Amino acid sequence: MSALLAVEGLCIDGPAGRLVGPLDLRLAAGECVALVGESGSGKSLSTLALLDLLPPGLSAGGTLSVQGRALPLGGPAHAALRGRCIGWVPQDPLAALHPLRRVGVQVAETLQVVAGLDRRAARRRVLDLFDEVHLPDAAAMARRHPHELSGGQRQRVLVALALAAGPSLLLADEPTSALDPALAEEVLDLLGRLRAGRGLGLLLVSHDLGQVARHADRVMVLREGDVVEAGTTGELLAAPQHPYSRRLVEAARPPAHQPGLDGGEAGLRVDGLSVRYRGAAQPAVHGVDFAVPRGQCLAVLGASGSGKSTIARAVLGLVPGVVGGRIDILGQDLLALPPKRRRALGRDIGAVFQDPFASLDPRMRVADIVAEPLRIHGIGTPAERRARALELLASVGVDPASADRYPHAFSGGQRQRIAIARAMACGPKLLVCDEAVSALDAEHRNAVLALLGRLKREHGLAMVFITHDHDAAAALGDAVLRLDAGRAVPA
Amino acid sequence: MPVAARPLPPLARACLLVLGGMLAVVWLGPWLLGLPDPHRPEWTALSQAPSAAHWFGTDAIGRDVLARVLAGGRLSLGIGILASAVALVLGLGYGALAGYLGGRWERAMVRALDVLSALPFLLLVILLLTLFERSLWLLLLAIGGYVWIDLARVVRAEAARLREAPFVLAARAAGATTAQVLRWHLLPNLLPIALVYLGLILPQVILVESFLGFLGLGVDEPASSWGTLLAEGAQELDHAPWTLLFPALFLSLTLGAFQFLGDGLRDWLDVRGDSGRAPAAAAPAVAP
Repeated sequence: MSALLAVEGLCIDGPAGRLVGPLDLRLAAGECVALVGESGSGKSLSTLALLDLLPPGLSAGGTLSVQGRALPLGGPAHAALRGRCIGWVPQDPLAALHPLRRVGVQVAETLQVVAGLDRRAARRRVLDLFDEVHLPDAAAMARRHPHELSGGQRQRVLVALALAAGPSLLLADEPTSALDPALAEEVLDLLGRLRAGRGLGLLLVSHDLGQVARHADRVMVLREGDVVEAGTTGELLAAPQHPYSRRLVEAARPPAHQPGLDGGEAGLRVDGLSVRYRGAAQPAVHGVDFAVPRGQCLAVLGASGSGKSTIARAVLGLVPGVVGGRIDILGQDLLALPPKRRRALGRDIGAVFQDPFASLDPRMRVADIVAEPLRIHGIGTPAERRARALELLASVGVDPASADRYPHAFSGGQRQRIAIARAMACGPKLLVCDEAVSALDAEHRNAVLALLGRLKREHGLAMVFITHDHDAAAALGDAVLRLDAGRAVPA
Repeated sequence: MPVAARPLPPLARACLLVLGGMLAVVWLGPWLLGLPDPHRPEWTALSQAPSAAHWFGTDAIGRDVLARVLAGGRLSLGIGILASAVALVLGLGYGALAGYLGGRWERAMVRALDVLSALPFLLLVILLLTLFERSLWLLLLAIGGYVWIDLARVVRAEAARLREAPFVLAARAAGATTAQVLRWHLLPNLLPIALVYLGLILPQVILVESFLGFLGLGVDEPASSWGTLLAEGAQELDHAPWTLLFPALFLSLTLGAFQFLGDGLRDWLDVRGDSGRAPAAAAPAVAP
């Protein structure tokens, strides 16, 4: 196979020294090469260097050969390749589209500027492109604004945009990280078909090894800017040689199942729960029933917008909308409780949310954050509360010596552990986790899942675990509730 | 500390120095320089031009202009600081409560702000000061009541964002009362924004006070603020321009310094984004 793209000695230098490289990369027509590595390993920077789009202050070195023509990276001829030879599919489809212009016009503009078509020809070509990326009803779709499209449709528009000027090579930087797994798979299948149909080369940046295994021919593992291992996908993933790749592959395996306890007393019982937000035409949740005994976990699975988080908020008593049905927590009817009794019930309820960065008050010390529920209920003296906070931190695997630091000093995984410690402060009997592991990378996700499984058994927690991640649901859930458009659907 | 460790921009630092110097000169100056009583006329030295004896000259009844400018500064800055404190308490409390409560309460409280800001407030202040016996406290209250509205708006918008923050939701789920959430989470997170905004309000307060003083509605003789000094100076512009020039210079210098300081502080604290998140999100792009 002749190389479509060959990069030799790609280096990226910043003010503080070498960031990436030197690395070599070859890509044949119709081939998909994946760049994997944890965040900060230089994956995205490398793609930006190939596009000559490095942020100011960084410079690239090396040579780039496209279809046999060699030129220096970052030289004057490089920028001209952008769009024409090398197409780019960015990560965040909403941020990559102009919010006030129709998507058809945005794609047509590229055709006019880069491919030199006149306006009418460009408009016609847009419809062909939209068909090619399987956007339904291309003519109507072209007249919409980005906010009127779903995430998957927006990502397809961006693929069409990348294809507009007929490049022979696509760079896709985490093209599906903003999408649900099912939609992500559709977009990757689409890229696969384009690869076969147009003979496109695809450089895929991803942190999801499952995705890589299904779609890439070859894999390069990056760590701190260096390639630590490269090879064909099957071989590398089956028998990784470098310790770092072994760690990545290990973390990508489905996490071990965390069994619950049987025969626990009633924890949470929900009958005919309906929630309609003020001003919404459709109820967000419609007649959902479930029961979670203590010591067991109910995994609530569903795509975004299926009403999962609404259920979490309803159970926590945080929903401002109209609530119908009945929520029994430890034998108390939540919706009928007077506010004072509801607040007292807070001792028995813990909550963990998705975003580890927003979950902790940036202006509080970690010890105070963890002790907050105790303070809310006036339990213990300040000294006792602090001692308990240190104990809790140790029990979730955070060094108690760092209790006086602020949240920004901790990584995402550690912050989520701190959030769990806070949820456990009063010794709750019900724990509600809303996408608690979704923002974590595979390694941290598995560790946090194991922690939650241990807490479930040790404290006999009735747990509601809301997620869109099937592996996580299978690992922690003793039962599964699937949601679609606010209704429970059979598994 | 959660507040960024970056150094303050040089311009803002210079402004801070100017303002610190201004406060020191205004309060310590008379004592250090051994200035005469700003209210005592010196009948032998009427409308004298600046000289070694009177650095800034004297006014129509022979009072030392330097001493009067410093005395006026004490009053103008003092009123500015106190009225801003009134605005801070009102604006922060009202805005935080409106933003946190949300729903019907928020709508009603924002509507009330709209009504207030639709009133020609300066006219009301003038009416108030004309009808009632003028006192320093009435002046303070009137000006503070005039400038707090915008502060309340800014604070409300941020509080509405914080209301949905997971750490606030977690506190509510754990059974925190509204007062606890406001005290522990909302106010500490809103205070930096309010303080930066205060940097923009303070010069406005000083300006309003000067304006009222210029109209003759400010503090009563013999007390004087920069505004009343400007009013006097304007009348003697043709034969004693220094009586206008020096108070105007001090006022402009102070207002300008506040303005640039406010801008610098806003950039420095990056008030919009939450300080915990911004560096983490930016890090991979800059230093992988």
